[in-house]
Amino acid sequence: MRAWFIVCLLLTFLAHHARAAEPIDFDRQIAPLLAGRCLDCHSGSEPKGGLDLSTHASATKGGDSGPAVVAGKLNDSQLWERVLAGDMPPKKPLPEKERQLLKAWIEAGAKWGSDPIDPYRFTTAARAGYDWWSLQPVRPTAIHQIDDFIRQKLQDNKLDFSPAAEKRVLIRRLSFDLTGLPPTPAEIEAFLKDDSTQAYEKLVERLLASPHYGERWARHWLDVVHFGESDGFEFDKMRPNAWRYRDWVIDALNRDMPYNEFAKLQIAGDVLQPNDPQAVIATGFLVGGAFDSLLPAGDAMRQIMRQDELEDIVGLVGQTFLGLTVHCARCHDHKFDPIRAADYYSLAASLAGVRRGERSLPAKDTPSELQERQQRLVKELKSLEEVAQNQVLAKRKQDQDSGKVQLPESFSSWEFDDNVKDSKGKLHGQLHGKAKLQNGALVLEGSDSFVSTAPLPQRIKAKTFEAWVRLADLNQRGGGVMTLQTLDGSLFDSLAYGEREAGHWLAGSNFFQRTKDLQGTAEKDADRQFIHLALVYHADGRIAAYRNGQPYGREYQSGAALSFDPDKSQLVFGLRHGPPGGNKMLKGAIERARFYDRALTPEEIAASAGVASSYVAEAELVAQLNETERAQRESLKSDLATLTSQLESIRDPKTFAVTPQQPAISHLLIRGNPTQKGPEAKPAGIRSLTPEQFDFALAADAPDAERRKKLAQWIASEQNPLFARTIVNRVWQYHFGQGLVLTPNDLGYSGGQPSHPELLDYLAHEFVQRKWSLKELHRLIVTSRTYQQASLPNEAAMKVDSQNRLLWRYSPRRLEAESVRDAMLSAAGELNTARGGVSFKDFEPFNRGGTQFYRPIDAEGAEFNRRSIYRMWVRGGKNPLLDTFDCPDPSTATPTRGSTTTPLQALSLLNHSFTLRMADAFAKRLEREAGADPDKQIRQAFELTTGSPPTAEQLAASRQFVQKHGLSPFCRVLLNSNAFLYVD
Amino acid sequence: MTTNRRDFLSFAAQGIGATALTSLLMQGNNACAEKIPGQAGDLPPHHRAKAKRVIHICLCGAYSQLDTFDYKPELAKRHGQPLGGSEKPDVFFGKVGLLRQNDFEFQQRGNSGLWISDLFPNIAGVADELTVIRSMVAESSSHTPATLHENSGFRLNGFPTLGSWLSYGLGCETDELPTYVVLPDARGLPAGGTSNWSQGFLPAQHQGVMFQSKGAVINDLFPAREIAANVESDSRELHALLNRTDRERRGNSDELLARMRAYELAAKMQLAVPRVTDLSQETAAIKAEYGFDREETRDFGRSCLLARRLIEQGVRFVQLFSGGSFGNPRINWDGHEDTKANHTQEALRIDQPVAALVKDLRQRGLFEDTLLLFTTEFGRTPFAQADAGVLGKGRDHNQYGFSIWAAGAGLKPGIAYGATDDIGWKAVENPVAWHDFHATVLHLLGIDHERLTIYHNGIQRRLTNVHGHVVKGILA
Repeated sequence: MRAWFIVCLLLTFLAHHARAAEPIDFDRQIAPLLAGRCLDCHSGSEPKGGLDLSTHASATKGGDSGPAVVAGKLNDSQLWERVLAGDMPPKKPLPEKERQLLKAWIEAGAKWGSDPIDPYRFTTAARAGYDWWSLQPVRPTAIHQIDDFIRQKLQDNKLDFSPAAEKRVLIRRLSFDLTGLPPTPAEIEAFLKDDSTQAYEKLVERLLASPHYGERWARHWLDVVHFGESDGFEFDKMRPNAWRYRDWVIDALNRDMPYNEFAKLQIAGDVLQPNDPQAVIATGFLVGGAFDSLLPAGDAMRQIMRQDELEDIVGLVGQTFLGLTVHCARCHDHKFDPIRAADYYSLAASLAGVRRGERSLPAKDTPSELQERQQRLVKELKSLEEVAQNQVLAKRKQDQDSGKVQLPESFSSWEFDDNVKDSKGKLHGQLHGKAKLQNGALVLEGSDSFVSTAPLPQRIKAKTFEAWVRLADLNQRGGGVMTLQTLDGSLFDSLAYGEREAGHWLAGSNFFQRTKDLQGTAEKDADRQFIHLALVYHADGRIAAYRNGQPYGREYQSGAALSFDPDKSQLVFGLRHGPPGGNKMLKGAIERARFYDRALTPEEIAASAGVASSYVAEAELVAQLNETERAQRESLKSDLATLTSQLESIRDPKTFAVTPQQPAISHLLIRGNPTQKGPEAKPAGIRSLTPEQFDFALAADAPDAERRKKLAQWIASEQNPLFARTIVNRVWQYHFGQGLVLTPNDLGYSGGQPSHPELLDYLAHEFVQRKWSLKELHRLIVTSRTYQQASLPNEAAMKVDSQNRLLWRYSPRRLEAESVRDAMLSAAGELNTARGGVSFKDFEPFNRGGTQFYRPIDAEGAEFNRRSIYRMWVRGGKNPLLDTFDCPDPSTATPTRGSTTTPLQALSLLNHSFTLRMADAFAKRLEREAGADPDKQIRQAFELTTGSPPTAEQLAASRQFVQKHGLSPFCRVLLNSNAFLYVD
Repeated sequence: MTTNRRDFLSFAAQGIGATALTSLLMQGNNACAEKIPGQAGDLPPHHRAKAKRVIHICLCGAYSQLDTFDYKPELAKRHGQPLGGSEKPDVFFGKVGLLRQNDFEFQQRGNSGLWISDLFPNIAGVADELTVIRSMVAESSSHTPATLHENSGFRLNGFPTLGSWLSYGLGCETDELPTYVVLPDARGLPAGGTSNWSQGFLPAQHQGVMFQSKGAVINDLFPAREIAANVESDSRELHALLNRTDRERRGNSDELLARMRAYELAAKMQLAVPRVTDLSQETAAIKAEYGFDREETRDFGRSCLLARRLIEQGVRFVQLFSGGSFGNPRINWDGHEDTKANHTQEALRIDQPVAALVKDLRQRGLFEDTLLLFTTEFGRTPFAQADAGVLGKGRDHNQYGFSIWAAGAGLKPGIAYGATDDIGWKAVENPVAWHDFHATVLHLLGIDHERLTIYHNGIQRRLTNVHGHVVKGILA
């Protein structure tokens, strides 16, 4: 017994000893340990304590306190001593296992491997190395059938395919999957009747050829690229021309543009095909994300903001096309994937020329039919308004004649008769240069003459300038009539002439900060007679001008009105702003001038100018109309606005795209800090991905065009294994609800392993073979048995694989937000299938202090019944109904949508005005199409929403309900039913 | 009787109709609130929680630490002098005027002797409840990135906010009300609108739900137009039947069951929301405390009182905004032109209601497990925003040092933690970054900030990014 025990003990000891004596693989075991725990400080140009552990020689030589590693001699090895004492690594002592490993390695002779250490050589338990699966070339596979790959895994787990789905289920599944819309009853009928063996293939072809295919799949793409139609951040400025990129994606998908070309154009279309407007539009991809347009004065903050912006763009490109989270390497080497900070900055350098903005596109002839319609609308609107306007004006004339209108009270007033004194307040003037008073006017000769007043006695924000002016000649440029300025002239608001545009009046300001073109007509009379001018500054930043009492051009919104401080501000005449000289001096005469510490109304200005104002304010006009007229006017205005923007986009087409700027030389930024510049970063790809091709052979100062061209070629290349793998995994995900890899934006270490690695490679290989055709890929997938399985649950299979990763059935799915809305429109017979063009806005935009807000409105009418993809996707204005159904925040890249079930979702779908409106239209349609028989109506309602007839019990209950409450409430219930919301 | 789109004007109840009706709808359905579990993988609590819920008062526009909680006698001495030194301050509008002393008098308050200025006379009255942090530092001096950072830990759009993280981690104590409720300033939404309470990449149920003070309290709580009560109840019945029979055909599925349940919860919410927003149930004395009888305080008083009622009903996170968007006239704390005038106007609206809330939470014992936060995105400069040599009345943005406070469960009350330099410009003692602040809030709620994560695009994301240390010095 005892002997037995001793033998046991001995055996155990021997076994243990034998294991310890196994040779240690430096590259697999020690290098990752040193890299992960020590090299952050102990490598590079200034290693801490003089110790560099990254090379054999330097580790042997050691640091300031002696040799770090002495082969076989633990006690002489400083490295071991410090680890043992718990000093190193600082704060985070080495786990016991690693400690033992280190000890064993030194004892066994500290054999070195790759020199210097390459921490990425092998994948470890904590991170991916160069040998990570997704970085390896795509391998051709032995089997060539999707179903064979799936069957193999199912059999391994003692599972089998589910039976084939019924035809009704199939057509509904395929229609939603490929077009995002339900099949019509006629389409269902035709498919059920088609007994040919090719019935299903024919259906697939029909749906792939449908223009709705592009509308459906473009939405997936827009999720991935976080496409939005406003800036986000504080200002959230609208991007009225971003929709062209959306249309480009739809069109490219419908035309089945090869995916490699699809990718290249989005990265570099404008430089690859500069003469093709469509290629320019494609670059909307790079700039679709959020952007902070509010720039602080300080340079440090600006640089950080630019780096944040670049991170977003690099992240976008990396995740979309490579399935790699490259942006994680901005502050340090990637924690999980073999991507160094240097790789990040190389990619960032490749994209450093990307700036966003509007680009003009070649104009097309405006269709005369549209123009005629516009003219017609304008005429109708005018005749409607004219009557009311004339009534208002007649009343006003009466008031004027009867002396009811009072002149506004001014803050200051200068008559320039025999002095430059303020007859009203204390802003007395002083003549400068050759300025003089003559015939009751202030005469200014244009070189050094002006009048300045005493400083303001109080703060002024809202204000009005008023002056009677004659110009010496109409061709002069830039002179100021009347200006409020800080004493040094650095900040000013000025009534000026011809500064930006010859012959036009404008509201001048320091660096044009509050200046926009007023769009008034060119001056023709002011050299022959005195004309009356008024310039009104509202406190909220609106600026309006008047000439002889009538509006001059258009009122506009300038950022915020400037406040002028007491004692530090003054008025000047004849000078745009101090100091005097240059083109700032006016040549002409001012007969009288007045200054008001508030914004005058149009009526007051007209009265002051001595005319009856012909300006009729919106409120006055509306008050004059009856209800029918108001509704008519609203509808005319809305039609006109839509038409005008349509015409505008044809006449002067613009697109929101890359507006490249030659970048400065990029640098690696240490810890991502713009003030800590490391070595120069040349434009290049990621080394570990394609070790042979990553170098673009470009200099650090290469032109932007070259950078993006090379980047596009490098990404969309057959040699790049991630390019094809990433997209086939995405497509698979949209067909089945989950990808072979569950994280389509991350095929790196954190994303995990594919459920069917060989299948992924097979698809990637086929995809390239079939010339990058997405439609071919769809065909391949949807014609598989795997795709055509039934979706019924199966308890035994649920136990083995509740997530259905092995695909023993087709997973039922809830409709996505857009499909819920589109299918409701479709069932109700209200879907407007008009394709493309300017986005519809189901919100009311309004501006406050430069910030754009988007208030959701209950929008009715055909324009708003277009497919949801044509909705304007502004960042600050979500659609509450779509939002509760997991529509993603357009500021974040969404490779996989959530599918939640919440009470708010239920409330929204039950109670939203859209649902009620659709239920009404749906009911009318049933009456129209199914006749008076309730059973027929109910059957058709079920067909239209669920794709199947009701069961006897459902029919009976529905009949009872309809008889009691009518069709519309019934339709509302049906639009909330699971059978409508889920696809089997 | 009918239900229709209810106008809960001023959060006042006219709920009796709706309440009675929804009770009808709920017949046979024993409506009692249930908890909603959190969704996080590594489910909290990670340690014993001190607080269960949070009220967050978010002051938009950046109030001045120098005129509120950070008393600097040295600044008064140097009033009107240039900043001096070699550093050129990197300020938002690029103008560095002369140093400007506090525009409001400071006094030591309560037993704790905390310095609080006369701008907040009522909040000063509850000084002994407050835990002031005077050494906050922000990463940006641009409002929106800084506000995003204050609320989500990132300067960018698209990340989940604190309320969403808590909803995700802790769930809710009631299924009758949303987990995360937002009460915007009655004058308008903050810049960026609803994206300020986006759930980012967390599942949709974690987004903040806005309670509006005008129109319907919650979007779509009741049908957009009148629907007769019997139609409504029959509709629910038919809906249940269709789903039940459908399930028989499609087989069992948790998700289909969950959707049927969601409609039941929706009915509960129709009952609970009018009830909780019915402020008529509060006494006149309480309403007076909260400032209902004064024009200036009424709006924020309502929000504060409603916040307390929501918390009582088991809502996890209530966020109140003081201040709307930027621009003129100012309707938030961004006092560039004249900090004194601006802050006077804004403080008047909130001082009394906030103090009333503090007292009320204390009196009702809610402070035992409720946390109250009072924060702003950054502070303001000790020098005027004016040309060199000019003593302007306004202060520019200052990210380097500012003050916020918290009160309630698990905190050391009546203390000031950390300090700025002599002139109140930069934090020099125990600087606290937003990540540290967030880590501390999560800690008080029983959450290890490094363990509350969700995978998104390559990273296990967390509120504190890769930073954050619990500020132990303020914990009780």
